[in-house]
Amino acid sequence: MPAAPLLEVDDLRVAFRTRDGVVNAVNGLSFTVGRGEVLGIVGESGSGKSMAMYSMMGLLDNPNATVTGSARFEGTELIGMPLPKLNRLRGSSIAMIFQDPMTALTPVYTVGWQIVEQIRTHEKVSSQAAWKRAIALLDEVGIPDAARRAKSYPHEFSGGMRQRVMIAMSLACHPSLLIADEPTTALDVTTQRQILELIRDLQAKYGSSVIMITHDMGVISEIADRVIVMYAGRAVELGGKSQVVRSPRHPYTWGLLGAIPRPGQRGQRLATIPGLPPGPHDDQIGCPFRSRCRFAMDECSEMPQLRATGEAADHLDACWLSGDARKSLRGEIA
Amino acid sequence: MSETILRADDVVKQFALRGRHRGTIKAVDGVSLEVKAGETLGIVGESGCGKSTFGQCLTRLVDVTSGTIQFEGTDISKLSRRQLRPVRSRLQMVFQDPYSSLNPRMRVGDIVAEPMRIHKTGDRRAIQARVADLLERVGFDASMAGRFPHEFSGGQRQRIGIARALALNPSVLVADEPVSALDVSVQAQVLNLLADLQDEFGLTYVFIAHDLGVVEHVSDRVAVMYLGEIVELADAEELYASPAHHYTAALLSAIPQLDGEAEPERERIVLTGDVPSPANKPSGCPFHPRCPAATEICRTEHPVLHEEGGRAVACHHPLPLRVLSSAERGA
Ligand SMILES: Nc1ncnc2c1ncn2[C@@H]1O[C@H](COP(=O)(O)OP(=O)(O)OP(=O)(O)O)[C@@H](O)[C@H]1O
Ligand SMILES: Nc1ncnc2c1ncn2[C@@H]1O[C@H](COP(=O)(O)OP(=O)(O)OP(=O)(O)O)[C@@H](O)[C@H]1O
Ligand code: SF4
Ligand SMILES: [Mg+2]
Ligand SMILES: [Mg+2]
Repeated sequence: MPAAPLLEVDDLRVAFRTRDGVVNAVNGLSFTVGRGEVLGIVGESGSGKSMAMYSMMGLLDNPNATVTGSARFEGTELIGMPLPKLNRLRGSSIAMIFQDPMTALTPVYTVGWQIVEQIRTHEKVSSQAAWKRAIALLDEVGIPDAARRAKSYPHEFSGGMRQRVMIAMSLACHPSLLIADEPTTALDVTTQRQILELIRDLQAKYGSSVIMITHDMGVISEIADRVIVMYAGRAVELGGKSQVVRSPRHPYTWGLLGAIPRPGQRGQRLATIPGLPPGPHDDQIGCPFRSRCRFAMDECSEMPQLRATGEAADHLDACWLSGDARKSLRGEIA
Repeated sequence: MSETILRADDVVKQFALRGRHRGTIKAVDGVSLEVKAGETLGIVGESGCGKSTFGQCLTRLVDVTSGTIQFEGTDISKLSRRQLRPVRSRLQMVFQDPYSSLNPRMRVGDIVAEPMRIHKTGDRRAIQARVADLLERVGFDASMAGRFPHEFSGGQRQRIGIARALALNPSVLVADEPVSALDVSVQAQVLNLLADLQDEFGLTYVFIAHDLGVVEHVSDRVAVMYLGEIVELADAEELYASPAHHYTAALLSAIPQLDGEAEPERERIVLTGDVPSPANKPSGCPFHPRCPAATEICRTEHPVLHEEGGRAVACHHPLPLRVLSSAERGA
C-alpha cells in the first residue's frame, strides 16, 4: 500500500475580482505529490500554473484574490493557515525557486550572507556554523571557489549561477518539497541542462519531492515522474510521464505535442491549435477547450470531469470523447 | 546553385565599455558568411554570443566597426542613413519582443502603413488597400486595422510585426528570435506563416534563435556562433546529425528530448562553466576552457573557420563526420 502522499491538493480555486469582473485563474485543481516524486506541471502562459502554487504558499498578497479548496501538506492544511506559520513552513519544509532568481535574492547583500540568514531564521545555529554550511551548499550546487564566491553580490553572477545560488538557498533547510516555477526558462540549453541535472541529483540524494512547472514538454520528459497538463486553470490530463508524452489522451495535449518542431521533420507544417485560449472571463460552463477543439460535440457544453478513459486507471483526462476513438482521432491532428 | 543575396566579410562590431570595466568588447569578431537567395540561414548560440548584434550589422541598424556587407551586390557597410533608405525597403528586420516592438499608441493599420508612408510608396488609397491585404495575409481581418496593439495577444502582435516588415516587399528578412516569446501552439502558427510567406514571395530568411529545435525545423543551413565568431556552418541536416565542432555537439546534446524520442547515438556532454564574457575572451580557441577535447594548441592558436565540402568548422580537433544515410537526408 503506498504511503500517504506528501501533498494532497483538492479542488483548489483562485479567483481575482477585477474591474471587468471575476477572473478565475485556477478552477478546481486536484492532485497529489508522493514522497520522493517529481510532478511536472505543464501548460501554456496564463493557464494558472503559478497562481496554483502561489495560492498554496500564501504568496498571493492580493486583497482581490480569493483562494478556496484544500491543500494538505503532511496532513496539515495550508489554505487559510496563518501567514507567520506558513512563512515558517516555507523555507524549511517547503522551498520555492522561481524563473527570475532576483525575485528571491536581495541585491545589496552577499549571496553567502543571504544563505546564512535563511539558515538562521529556521534553525538555531551559530553564525560561524551557518557560514560553513552556506559555503558547503554553494559548493554542492557547483559554484566554483565557493568560499570566495560566497562574498560576491548577486549581480556579480551569471543567470545560471544565480539560479544555482537560489537552489542552494532553497536547500539550506533540507525541504521535503521543492516547488520550482520555470527555473530554467530564462537560461540557455547548456545551463538548463546543468540545472536540471543538479535538481535531479539533489532530489535523488535527499529524497525530496519536486513540483516542476514548465511550458516545455522536453523538460518534463527529462525530469518528471508524473505530469499534469493544465488548460485554463484546470487539469485536462494527468498521468505518468510516458503515458502523457507517448500516448496523450486529451485533444489539447495532442495539439501541444503536435506543435513542437521535431528532429527529422524539417520544413514540414507544424500542427497548430486554432484560435486562442479562453479569455480570463471564461464562462465556467462546458469543456474549456471546446471553442478550439476540432472534435467538440454537443456533450462538450457540459464540464467533463477528470477521470480514467482508457485502460490505465492512473491516466486521467477531462474529455467527453469515447475512450476507444482517441487513437484514430489523434491521427487526424498530425 | 542559387546566388548570394547577402554577404558578410570579416565583420567586426566593437562596443566601448564604460564604468568599472573600461575598455572595448568585440560583440561580433570577424564574421564572414553568405546568404543565398531563397534560403533560410539559421544562426544559433548561447545568450550574449553576438547573434542580435550580427543581425543588426547585416541590416545596418548599427554601424559596423570593420568589414563589409554586400546586399544584392552593393557594399552597404559604409552607407549613410540616407543612402540606406532604398536598401531598407528590401532588407527588413523582425524583432523578438512582440510587446515592445510595436508603438502602443498607434493603431495597427498605421503601424503597418508607416514604412510605406515614409517611403512614399503610393497615395492614401493605395496604402490602405495594401494594409488590408497585408493584414489578411498574416491571418487577420482587414477590420482589425483600427485596433491598438494591446488588444492583441503575443502571437498576434508578432504577426503584425511581420506584416509591417513585409510592407515594402523586402527580399530578405532578418528575424531576431521571432518566436522566442511565444507559447508553442502560437509559435507553430507563426512558423507556419513564415514558411507560407517564403513560398509565396520567395523570401530569404536569416533566422536568429537560441531554440535549436526551432532552428533545425526552419533552416536550410545553420551557423553556430560562440563569443562573436562562427565556429561551425553547415547544412541543417548534416549539422544536427553529425556536428563537427565540440561546442555544437554540446549544444545539441543539451536539448531536452521528448520521452521516447531520445536519439540514442547522441552522447550527452555536460558543459561546465559559463560562457566567458567577450570582454575577456580566452586566447587561442575561444571555446577551449569548456572544451572536452582541448589540447595545448587550442590554448595558444586561434583556429580558423575551414571549409570543406560545404561544411565549415573552426576547430583544431574536429569531430569525425558521420556519412548520412539517404533516409536521414530525408526531404
Ligand atoms: N492580479 C491578478 N488579477 C487578475 N488576474 C490575474 C492576476 N494575476 C494573475 N491573473 C490571471 O490568472 C491567470 C493565471 O496566471 P498564472 O500566472 O498562474 O499563469 P501561468 O500558467 O503561471 O503562466 P506563465 O506560463 O505565463 O507563467 C492568468 O489568466 C492571469 O491573467
Ligand atoms: N550597445 C551595447 N553596448 C555594449 N555592449 C553590448 C551592446 N550590445 C550588445 N553588447 C554586448 O555584446 C555581446 C553580444 O550581445 P548580443 O545581444 O548580440 O547577443 P545575443 O547572442 O543576441 O544574445 P541573446 O541570446 O541574449 O539575445 C554581449 O556581451 C552584450 O553584452
Ligand atoms: S470535451 Fe469536447 S471540446 Fe473538450 S476536448 Fe473533449 S472533445 Fe474537445
Ligand atoms: Mg507562471
Ligand atoms: Mg539577441
